[in-house]
Amino acid sequence: MSLLRTLYRGENHFDFIEGSRKVLMASAVIVLISIIALLGRGLNLGIEFEGGVVWEVPAGEASEDDIRSTLTEFGLEGRIQKVTGGTDVFRVRAESATIAQQDDLTAALAETVGVTVNDISRSEVGPSWGKEITDKARTALIWFFILLALYITFRFEWKMAAAALIAVAHDILISVGVYALFQFEVTPATVIAFLTIMGYSLYDTIVVFDRVKETSRAAEKARTRYTDVVNVSLNQVAMRSVNTSITSGLPVLSMLVIGRFVLGAVALQEFAVALLVGILAGTYSSIFVAAPILVALKLREPEWARRRELARKSGEVGSVAEAATTLAAGSYSRTAPPRPRKKGKKR
Amino acid sequence: MRRSDIASLVITVALTAAAVFGALLAGWGPVLGLDLRGGVAVVLEPTEPTDTDSLDQAIEIIRNRVDAIGVAEPDITRQDQNIVVQLPGVDDAQRALELVGQTAELRFRPVIATFNSNDAQQRFQAQTFLEALNASQASTTTVPATATTEATAAETTEPETTEPETTEPETSTPDSTTAPPTTTPDTTTPDTTTPDTTTPDTTTPDESAETTAADSTTTTVPVTTTTFDVSTAPDLEELLTQPDMEDPDAVVALASLDGTQFFLLGATEATGEIISTASASFNGQWIVPVDFTSSGSDTFNELAARNFGQQVAITVDGVVYSAPTIQAAEFDGAATISGQFTEEEAKDLALVLRFGALPVELEPQTVQSISATLGQDALEAGIIAGLVGLLLVAIYMIAMYRLLGVVAMLSLVVSGAMLWFIIAWLGEWQGLALTLAGATGIVLSIGVAVDSNIVYYESIKEQVRRGRAVRSAADASFPGAFSTIVKADLASIIGAAILYTLTVGAVKGFALYLGIATLLDLLVSYVFMRPLVVLVTRKFAADAPSRLGVVREEVAS
Repeated sequence: MSLLRTLYRGENHFDFIEGSRKVLMASAVIVLISIIALLGRGLNLGIEFEGGVVWEVPAGEASEDDIRSTLTEFGLEGRIQKVTGGTDVFRVRAESATIAQQDDLTAALAETVGVTVNDISRSEVGPSWGKEITDKARTALIWFFILLALYITFRFEWKMAAAALIAVAHDILISVGVYALFQFEVTPATVIAFLTIMGYSLYDTIVVFDRVKETSRAAEKARTRYTDVVNVSLNQVAMRSVNTSITSGLPVLSMLVIGRFVLGAVALQEFAVALLVGILAGTYSSIFVAAPILVALKLREPEWARRRELARKSGEVGSVAEAATTLAAGSYSRTAPPRPRKKGKKR
Repeated sequence: MRRSDIASLVITVALTAAAVFGALLAGWGPVLGLDLRGGVAVVLEPTEPTDTDSLDQAIEIIRNRVDAIGVAEPDITRQDQNIVVQLPGVDDAQRALELVGQTAELRFRPVIATFNSNDAQQRFQAQTFLEALNASQASTTTVPATATTEATAAETTEPETTEPETTEPETSTPDSTTAPPTTTPDTTTPDTTTPDTTTPDTTTPDESAETTAADSTTTTVPVTTTTFDVSTAPDLEELLTQPDMEDPDAVVALASLDGTQFFLLGATEATGEIISTASASFNGQWIVPVDFTSSGSDTFNELAARNFGQQVAITVDGVVYSAPTIQAAEFDGAATISGQFTEEEAKDLALVLRFGALPVELEPQTVQSISATLGQDALEAGIIAGLVGLLLVAIYMIAMYRLLGVVAMLSLVVSGAMLWFIIAWLGEWQGLALTLAGATGIVLSIGVAVDSNIVYYESIKEQVRRGRAVRSAADASFPGAFSTIVKADLASIIGAAILYTLTVGAVKGFALYLGIATLLDLLVSYVFMRPLVVLVTRKFAADAPSRLGVVREEVAS
């Protein structure tokens, strides 16, 4: 609580960049595991991508075995998954079935669980459709990276674009990795969750970088190291990052809890988990992935390299708090001069 | 407080309120997607690459079919090469698939009688007529049965060689028929079918449709019944044969394409198989020349001989597309349908004659039927979850930023109201439904909208901590904060635009609502949040930074 209190008062002076060294290792390991899981196990793609038929059957009193025996009667093998919640629902998935088979099976399933045919949801997807969707998603993803790289380069600089997009890739790899590792089914809803994570991660990083950019302008005259510039900026936005994560996370959390445990809506749960993880990862990666990468890239610039050498030789590596004071002195006069009132206007 | 700030607040609130109340008064409301209310969704893809025109025609035909079975708010759209059909409230996926995907059969049926569907008195007559007909059918074996046998027999006969009809002047058939007095002139009656080879007597008497009907049947219609209680006249729906009940071998009651007329029709005498091709052409007026296949020519001749001087209806999907009067007993492999066609009507008719129905063969790619109860569950869960989530956000924001937290919530209410209006507008005018994916986009945008507030407020707090007066801090912080908001929001908007353009289905919906909500965030931040913060800080927190969540001791430093 005292941490939140420090943040709340704006008295925080953490050395994020130093701290990120340890965390980055953990990040790298997780990303590596994700990649291995992705290559090794692959993704458990839903019927929307592979083709097939899925029924969603209100469970009622029926057991999984009841459903399975109904399925066997039709000579179909399928995956049956029970989704518990307010109303339990069975997800029954078969690779393929003729239309007539589907109709009969729907009727049989309805009889098994004691509901009418109308209470059962059914989705059928042809195999080529899934390919089309996947192709389009891939194209969209490539354009997403290209255009946003251009945008950030234009608005900020290419180093920031690189750092931001690496952070986005980090988040998305981890999210996809979780799906590969635990073999969660990837549905269009999951894809949307992934895209949301990308969007959120990028958004968050831009807010952080905007502050870094502002602070580094103030640092021009001072002898501050780039590490300090970034550290001070991160401390300034830390409260915002925490608050935004919490306020973005609360609706999702409530969607998860209420959807999952109170009302049992299957569709909502799928992305709620992914979104929640994504929001946390997005905030984390802006500070602990994007920022240190940016520092590493910027230190290749002569001016910042020179300053770092200078500070190292003189042994004047001050605390983050000191740097903040130095920069504040520089930035206060700069970004917030006592503004003259517009003439003639009432206050 | 500048006047422009107050003006901005007042105008924003007034416009938003007006938009929302206006929409409510007009009865607009968000149109919910299938995943939220249940129904059948089908994605169809042509089996071979097809031009946009044919796809649009196919969509038009599918829409007619869907309308015919009375689905409320069907959504039929083209996405690239695919046709997406969404039928809310329909439970039977199989039935829906038959309805939209198949190339339906075109049938020629003799017209027994026609009625004006808007005329209650005529509907009354039609009912009596139908009852009498049913009674006579119950007692005797009926004409339709024999007619069918004849037709099939005719089809199996040896094909005759037909004379080439290219030399025949088609212009020789002026449209002599005028509209019967009881009907509004329309494309379905009175079209005339004339053989290309001969010029039939142009003096064919203009019989009203009803007299033709009375002549052609043995059943007596009590036309002279003196009083009708018009209010008890049957609805058109009750009289018409349901499209899925259309028995090719029975007497049916079908409506014309525009619904102004309906017809009692005998059993099918020929099907679309007899037609080899049909097109629309113009020579002073729009006509539709039809070529028959060699075997079809015989079938049609028999049909013409049987129905000479009477109307024969061309039906597809339980709709009468045209009911020309046969003006010759012999056709040499070709005929011309004329009437007061517009160009579009002639082309549509030719299309229907040529393809029976869809101009392209379509293959279902995905078929999805979502039970209304599961959809409803998702919707309720989503709404409750959303409200609880918002409540939690409100509590947190107010705990963190006190008065400013209230401002944040008010901003959210304003953008929420604007968003509701836009969703309702899109639903009403663009037929765009709000899906679960779209709702997710909106949930994400709540985070973005609240963040805009947080960025601004943190900036104010920082300035106040550094010793600035509260009211000048509110002014001074905005440009920097807003520039951050614009940069970050633009990234979201670019991302949303890419997804919207390049993807299909659920992701597209997600991107659309994310994009709209983010744009609204920019707008509301500028025209509502900023003036309100300025107002609130001046009125209520000028000398009390603690009301903004700034701890008192800090200010002294």
